[in-house]
Amino acid sequence: MIKMQKGVEGKDKYNFRNNITIDWCPGCGDFGIVSAVTQALSNMNMDPDDVVAVSGIGCSGKTPHYLNIAGVHTLHGRAIPYAVGVKLSNPNLNVLVMGGDGDLLSIGAGHFVGEGRRNSGVKVILYNNSVYGLTKGQAAPTLPLGEKVKSLARPNIMGKINPITLAMASGYSFVARGFSSEIKQLSSIIERAIKHEGSAVIEVLQPCPTYNDVNTLDWYRQRVYKLEDDKSWDPVVNKKEEDEEKFDTGYRKSMEWGDHIPIGIFYENNTIPSYPNRLAGIVPDYLKYPPALQDVSDKEGYTIVDPIKTFAEKDVE
Amino acid sequence: MQETDINLLVGGPQGGGIDSAANMISMAFSLAGYNIYGIREFHSNIKGRHSYIHFRIMHERPKSLKYPVDIMVALDPDTLFEHMFDVAKGSKVVYDSAFNTFNLKNARMITSDTMIRIQDELAERNLTFDVKGVLDYFKSAGIDVIAIPFDKLINENVHDGPANRYYNTLGAGTTLALLGLDEDHADDGIKFAFKKKPKVIESNIKVIKAAYDYVKSSPIKVATLPTYPAMPRMLLTGNDATALGKLMGGLRFQTYYPITPASDESTLLESHEEMEFLKNADDVVKKAGLVVVQCEDELSAINMANGAALTGTRSATATSGPGFSLMAEGIGYAGMTEIPVVITFYQRGGPSTGLPTRNGQADLLFALNTGHGEFPKMVISSGDMEECIYDGMKSLNYAQRYQMPVIHLIDKTLANTMDLVPEIDVKKVKIVKYNENTNHENFKRYSLDTENGISPYGVFGKDIFWMTGDEHDELGHVTEDSAMRDKMMEKRMQKLVTADSEIPLEDKAVLYGDENADVTYVTWGSQKSLLIDTIDELKKQGISANLLYLRMFEPFPSEYVAKVLKNSHLIIDVESNMTGQAAKVIRMNTGINIENFILKYNGRHMTLDEVLKSTKNIMEKKTALEVLQEGS
Repeated sequence: MIKMQKGVEGKDKYNFRNNITIDWCPGCGDFGIVSAVTQALSNMNMDPDDVVAVSGIGCSGKTPHYLNIAGVHTLHGRAIPYAVGVKLSNPNLNVLVMGGDGDLLSIGAGHFVGEGRRNSGVKVILYNNSVYGLTKGQAAPTLPLGEKVKSLARPNIMGKINPITLAMASGYSFVARGFSSEIKQLSSIIERAIKHEGSAVIEVLQPCPTYNDVNTLDWYRQRVYKLEDDKSWDPVVNKKEEDEEKFDTGYRKSMEWGDHIPIGIFYENNTIPSYPNRLAGIVPDYLKYPPALQDVSDKEGYTIVDPIKTFAEKDVE
Repeated sequence: MQETDINLLVGGPQGGGIDSAANMISMAFSLAGYNIYGIREFHSNIKGRHSYIHFRIMHERPKSLKYPVDIMVALDPDTLFEHMFDVAKGSKVVYDSAFNTFNLKNARMITSDTMIRIQDELAERNLTFDVKGVLDYFKSAGIDVIAIPFDKLINENVHDGPANRYYNTLGAGTTLALLGLDEDHADDGIKFAFKKKPKVIESNIKVIKAAYDYVKSSPIKVATLPTYPAMPRMLLTGNDATALGKLMGGLRFQTYYPITPASDESTLLESHEEMEFLKNADDVVKKAGLVVVQCEDELSAINMANGAALTGTRSATATSGPGFSLMAEGIGYAGMTEIPVVITFYQRGGPSTGLPTRNGQADLLFALNTGHGEFPKMVISSGDMEECIYDGMKSLNYAQRYQMPVIHLIDKTLANTMDLVPEIDVKKVKIVKYNENTNHENFKRYSLDTENGISPYGVFGKDIFWMTGDEHDELGHVTEDSAMRDKMMEKRMQKLVTADSEIPLEDKAVLYGDENADVTYVTWGSQKSLLIDTIDELKKQGISANLLYLRMFEPFPSEYVAKVLKNSHLIIDVESNMTGQAAKVIRMNTGINIENFILKYNGRHMTLDEVLKSTKNIMEKKTALEVLQEGS
């Protein structure tokens, strides 16, 4: 549910960027992500009270401070649980998760997978630069085996995780990839993800100009191509029987890497009920009065829960 | 006439229906106007290993348990071996006559170290390593052994399913008959225990009749017990009572990851996501259900509860030691960013996986020192059913009022205690709301314009503000400014001073018994009611004792504790841990060094008899440290 934004018609649009100085390195891909997010929110005329940003730790974690919406910069790896807590206690809110590759796929990998099963409706923007920037360039879980970026003492001894295949295997109902310099495409993917009822993963390829001297801006520019340029590309599942084929196509496409790297939407499944809708089937009036909008006391300030009737099976009479 | 006071033990294989047997006995006595108090002991196992329930039945509400028991019901041979010394002269032991030929070496479910211990005990007394050996011991010790032909009685009377399905009912029925409870109440107990299952009730009532007829036709003389009008009560465990208190206190979002002995609270809440509301909750009040989320791990559980709190929801999680260890970072975050969240912490035997299904109180210092850095948190503790209920409500209130994590300590013994609670007062605790923000334009979530440290609370969906675990300014943005750092540290910690000044003493520490006494016990948690009974018992023996009972550890009532202890003579610290953690907290806060201890760390509940015995040893200066060892 997206309301019209506050403000008088004819005046400037709400500025989703605040006046806090951004302290990312010049040339950082994160700038493009902030632009794409604010453009998507402006384009949707989002009421700033209706959207919140949740981040983890690292350079990506600073993002909420730069946005003019409520934001919480949480613990390393834990952005998803915070976001889910917000979403399930007030499903009217649009909840964005901003996390790095290390944050979401290493220390927070359990939550990344868990959220695929839940499908609670949070939108996960995964900043992928293949390094831990803020701690001076160690290998992130997306750095390929044998690759040596400049601050590594020796070539990477571990293999890489493919965020798209992991997201699909985990059950996310919207899986896409953007590139931090393709702001227009990224912004439209974010907008579409927000409109999608279930949870989304948007991997964003981005350079780290300070620590990743292999996957540079030019390196990506020479390789990325847009999935939607192929007019026959249709990743949307609207009927259950389409799922097997479209999942299979998206999954195979996600394996493509090297000289050609696809960006765009790999998979969107609208047939999986979101967690809030599943809850609505169990908890009475959940969507009308979710936890955040309930009263817990009467006019005099006393409890409204009847202990004996609620726990009638424990009553001995 | 001697007042009825029955101590009872029902033992059998896990999954063999001893819970149902316990339920039938409890219900039968409850409906006959008695009160019951019981503690469940079990292995970390699904089926087969030995478990038992230790009960006490009185007309007055019992507060403690004691050994030896008056009657022991063995639904498996293991019970006879494991509890040989829990009965004494005058006790009755009821068992299945089929066990007569059972050899100890066939008791596969007895762990090897326990087996060796039992063999040593039998060998020492020149007894054979079988049930016959145990029975010989019982007979020589003046214990009545009553062998019941289980299969025969059941097969002659019921024809619905295998005989072993009814062993528990037959055990319960024989017990009730031997204790002299009238058969109608036994039938009522069955009806209550198997509510909504008329066919099951019918066949089980036949078993009860068989048990009563068997006892009547035997030479055993049984005096009929008096019955009383049964008052309405709720049969609750500590898990149940806490769940109920949290719901009443406005809990609307609970997270958890499965762990013993905490998840019973969450699964009970899960089955009550739909609540019933009081009449005074009229149509204007916005009401719906509770959300319970089973998370992927405890890291998720604490942080998801934190997240829910950001929307103004009263949220909590429940866990035990291993899960709490994982939650430490999330609790620190809640302290730093001033999130109202409740962590109900069911302690079990540690360290590490420790004794997963057994009792422990060894996490007090850990709760007090959770998380790195210095941040405010409250640590409270409950000791009986009523405290579980009302502290459950208060824990949420404290979190809202002081915007900090509240750790509510409960131990496994209390979590698994069964007790009949006579009355729940829905007006005992008022619901306290957070300090609401009125300025939505230039909202400073961490406003320093506050004397008591409490800033206006921000709610996602209503206010725009920021939060970070980094040191932050009034808006919630990251800062490393040295002066702002000091101000924010002081503002946060000021809230503990505020809490200390606002919360009444009776919620922090209570002195039970005479002000001037020869012996002063200090304790917390589930030993509360046991020690209140101990004081009464000592009084009968001409010894004056009192109890300094601790309910709040952060903020700690230092002044009051110091005042009480300075006037005390012989101070004995009683705890279910090895290092006397509460005594350490007292020393840290008051400088007073307690020198006498009654401690127990074998994972089993303390009993009246062992505490009395140890008290006398300490009074006679035989020892300063008593380690209790009862319990199988």
